[in-house]
Amino acid sequence: MSTFFAQYAWLVPVFPFAAFAILTAMGKGMSKTGAWIGTIATFASLVLSLCIATERLSGNAEDYSNQFTWIEIGNLKLHAGFEVTNLSTMMLVVVTLVGFLVNLYSQGYMKKDERISTFFAYVALFTSSMLALVLSDNLLTFYIFWELVGVCSFLLVGFWYQKPEARAAAKKAFIVTRIGDLGLLIALLLLFWYMPGHALDFTTIHNVFDSQGGGAISTGITTLIALLIFLGAVGKSGQFPLHVWLPDAMEGPTPISALIHAATMVAAGVFLVARTFDIFDASQVAMTTVAIVGAFTAIFAATIGLAQNDIKRILAYSTVSQLGYMMLALGVGSVTGAMFHLLTHAFFKALLFLGAGSVIHSVHTQDIREMGGLGGKMKITAWTFGIGALALSGIPPFSGFWSKDAILTAALDKQPILFVVGIIAAFFTALYMARLFFLVFVGKQREGQHAKESPSVMTIPLIVLAILATVAGFVETPFNGWFGHWLTGGDAEHHASGLVMVVSAAVGLLGLYIGWLMYVKGTIRRDAVSSRMPGLVTVLERKYYIDELYQWLFVKPLQGFGKALELFDEYVVDGIVRLSGYSVSALGRLNSRLQNGQVQTYALTAIIGIVILIVAIAGRRFW
Amino acid sequence: MEALQTLSWSDTWYLAPELVLSGFAILLVILDLLLPKRINRNVIGWLTLVGLLVSATFVVLLMLSLGDGTDPADSTPEFYSLLGGSYRIDDFGNLLKLVFLGASFFIVFSSLGTVRDTDVPVKAELYYLVLPAALGAMVMSSSGDLITLFVGLELLSITTYILVATRKRNRLSSEAAFKYVVMGGVASAFILYGMSFLYGLTGGTNFAFIAQGLGSAIENFEALLYICFFLMIAGFAVKLALAPFHVWAADVYQGAPTPVTAFLAVVAKGAAFAMLYRIFMNSAFLTPADGSFLQKDVFIALSVLAAAAMIVGTVGALRQKNVKRLLALSGVANAGILLTPLAINLTEMHASLFSEFIYFLIAYSFMNIGAFSVLTILTRDSGNESISGFAGLYHRAPWTAVAMTILLCSLAGLPVTGGFMGKLLILFGTFQTHTYWLGAVILVTTVISYAVYFSFIRQMFMRSGTVDAKLKMSVPATITIWVCTIVTLVLGFMPVPLLEGIDHIFSIPADLLVIQG
Repeated sequence: MSTFFAQYAWLVPVFPFAAFAILTAMGKGMSKTGAWIGTIATFASLVLSLCIATERLSGNAEDYSNQFTWIEIGNLKLHAGFEVTNLSTMMLVVVTLVGFLVNLYSQGYMKKDERISTFFAYVALFTSSMLALVLSDNLLTFYIFWELVGVCSFLLVGFWYQKPEARAAAKKAFIVTRIGDLGLLIALLLLFWYMPGHALDFTTIHNVFDSQGGGAISTGITTLIALLIFLGAVGKSGQFPLHVWLPDAMEGPTPISALIHAATMVAAGVFLVARTFDIFDASQVAMTTVAIVGAFTAIFAATIGLAQNDIKRILAYSTVSQLGYMMLALGVGSVTGAMFHLLTHAFFKALLFLGAGSVIHSVHTQDIREMGGLGGKMKITAWTFGIGALALSGIPPFSGFWSKDAILTAALDKQPILFVVGIIAAFFTALYMARLFFLVFVGKQREGQHAKESPSVMTIPLIVLAILATVAGFVETPFNGWFGHWLTGGDAEHHASGLVMVVSAAVGLLGLYIGWLMYVKGTIRRDAVSSRMPGLVTVLERKYYIDELYQWLFVKPLQGFGKALELFDEYVVDGIVRLSGYSVSALGRLNSRLQNGQVQTYALTAIIGIVILIVAIAGRRFW
Repeated sequence: MEALQTLSWSDTWYLAPELVLSGFAILLVILDLLLPKRINRNVIGWLTLVGLLVSATFVVLLMLSLGDGTDPADSTPEFYSLLGGSYRIDDFGNLLKLVFLGASFFIVFSSLGTVRDTDVPVKAELYYLVLPAALGAMVMSSSGDLITLFVGLELLSITTYILVATRKRNRLSSEAAFKYVVMGGVASAFILYGMSFLYGLTGGTNFAFIAQGLGSAIENFEALLYICFFLMIAGFAVKLALAPFHVWAADVYQGAPTPVTAFLAVVAKGAAFAMLYRIFMNSAFLTPADGSFLQKDVFIALSVLAAAAMIVGTVGALRQKNVKRLLALSGVANAGILLTPLAINLTEMHASLFSEFIYFLIAYSFMNIGAFSVLTILTRDSGNESISGFAGLYHRAPWTAVAMTILLCSLAGLPVTGGFMGKLLILFGTFQTHTYWLGAVILVTTVISYAVYFSFIRQMFMRSGTVDAKLKMSVPATITIWVCTIVTLVLGFMPVPLLEGIDHIFSIPADLLVIQG
């Protein structure tokens, strides 16, 4: 098949990077133009990605890769390059599409911010690094861009650095993900050490681990590497127990939450596991761990989502929960399910975040208890948000239903308990989305709130995403395994399971119904649970006290340790430094003593010097 | 020994670079005499540049005509031996000649338009005397005989004595020149005395001859050989300004016009190294190692001197406020580093000693010329040679401050610069030969030197100077600064092409050792 556009895939990250360079170079004086530069660059990437996707759609396009020798030390060679596979093509489209829509949306959302061109510069840098990450053909460059997207996330979460919460959240996001990154780095070093020929490119990794049993690398090491890679994914994708940064990251501007913390960067962990899936596939322990962590995160975060009152935090926990689903899918061996859910989730979660942003933009609060009846004033936002909510809750025929169905079917085949957990989590998902939607858009309007619909630069992206959230599911249904076949090249693994479809649709509807009863009809009192089990609700509101636990378990002891080190530094290290500084300057004084300007002294010094040298060197033979 | 072979017409081709330089020097002297006073002597400067370029072109042509010895079927000789083996055209000499000519070129180029008549009344001399000085350096790097070596050394030395004194109305300059003459004389005396022992013990001045005679000399006159080598070491230590023989350097560097200071720091020092390599590789290195500790002791002495130079130079620079004196001391420390490959590699030879040396020499030349060019501009502007003259440079000339920062990073050996790469290669050399203590000295002094160079950066970026006006730049100096900065960066980022190039054309047996000549 033709690989005409694939050859130019490297241009996809170059466009946004150029935008970043221009925006940084031009400085602050170009707010409006700056925004357009970012948007147009992303649009160019989108067009090119779509071209690449179109030429690969036929399903049997060859993977295109291109690499060059980056560093050569002795016989050690490090390569860098890019690779276009169906998997990366899908990611390219997702990232550029969501990126473009978010750029467009931000023109409205960030309009009044005076650092708007900085904002667009950061977004462009992020987009560029994320695209480069997707295109990387080896783990080393992947890791570099992995860190770079982390840096961009840090910059953007802390974008409103005047707010102390934003600063703290940025720091937390960075530090917590660093823990995972360390795991990935160790995994990378282990791979480098054990791989034949020190190869780190994905193709070789695939070949080595795919033929496991050839015994190139022992099972123990394989498991270790897989778990360490997974640790990296856990950090980036906000899986338990490193999920704590993601809800806090909502301090960043809402378009960022949509782009980075819902659609793209947090999905990079899933992408990583999918890209190195052969390593996981070779280790049963690793697979089980991935599945259990994923399933647990899915239900764990969903329950927290039930008791939150901040619109963005609810969505953040929902993201954590949905990423858990993707991990679950990978753990039970369904790469298709995971990537499919990644695709649909990117659309509907970006939609929900942008919708939430539209609401916040209009009412200037994030607390859903202070909202209500917005549906009448903000028709487009309400309708599109509703579509997103239905997709997330897994109601047919919206996209989320199909992708969740794919995961649940795979889970049922592998391990019924995981399936049950998934179903319960799906119920909670529907329930908190019902609560969110009904509290915000239905009911009576608050006094003093003058909500009005957002401008069209913001609503158009909503509409586009709503359409995608509706139809994206049809690429892979139990009756049509096109996507799975296209992605993995294998036969359709997704077989129809009537039971799963019925049960998952039923729990979704049940969740929505109970939500309707509680928050609209009032048949069930809202405090039905909290009045009977106040303890449970508090625990959920406080997010299972995980943050407090970490505070006592890690932060405080580390701070104590830091204090001790500081004292050591102040007295012992500084003491040595002062002493050496003093002795050095004493030597210097002696030196300037010699430098008295008398040429006789100079000559004498030379003579004395040579005499000492001769005596010392030759003389040491005699004693 | 064959009868002294006279110079034939065909030899002039091999001597073309040297002949060009001497021709231009004579012509320019006459031209300077004949030209009316009102004509700006910059003309002489430009002609000097032409002479240097023509000479460099001939060097390149000669290099291309030499075989690289990798292909046995290739009959092109790897070197040419002239005048009964007393003069050699080989890649060691050619590479160094290119460095010297290039350095001289940029030094003269950057001083065009920056040197003031009030400071240097004899500007023409400043320009054209560079030619015989460079000629001396080239002779030193091409010699195969003690006599030619010494003639080259004296040509270089005497010319630089004059160059130092060209600030005729400046008391410091005359004092510097006088001190330089005295100390230079002392150094020459040491070296000559040492050489006379070598001649007396082996019966020859040609290296091929000396090498043959060393075996019997060491059996019968070991003590005298010790004296011979240590005398030469002392002489070279003065020339190279190695501690504790360095004290003259600060005074001389301060008194000389800044371009001359740069010339002393780069070309004169490089030439002394060339001579050191020639002599020691062909004598001390060839003394039998069994039965005598001589060889070992000589190289331990060199290592000790290298270490002492690094320590004393760095520590001394810490307290220095005058930039030229400071750069003199930094030059002392760098001389220690430049000496390291020779000092360590000879006992347990490994083939990269020369590439380590020349790589750092090239990096060192460019960073020094760049830094001295910045200094020339600054002192012309304010007359202030102290480090506080750099205050607020960032606000007065931001780009120059950036370039200077890069050059300083290179001097400090910070990545990713030529200075870093060069130091790294030399450091690897100390590890390869297990001379860990010397490696440790390099590391420690490098760290201390950060304090020295960062005080510049602090001045440039964080202090506000007394003047706020834009710094007046001259075009040639600006070009020189940027060429040096870019080369420094390129050497840091892409060391491989140059290293491969050096390795490709250079081989120790053909280019350093004269025995088979």
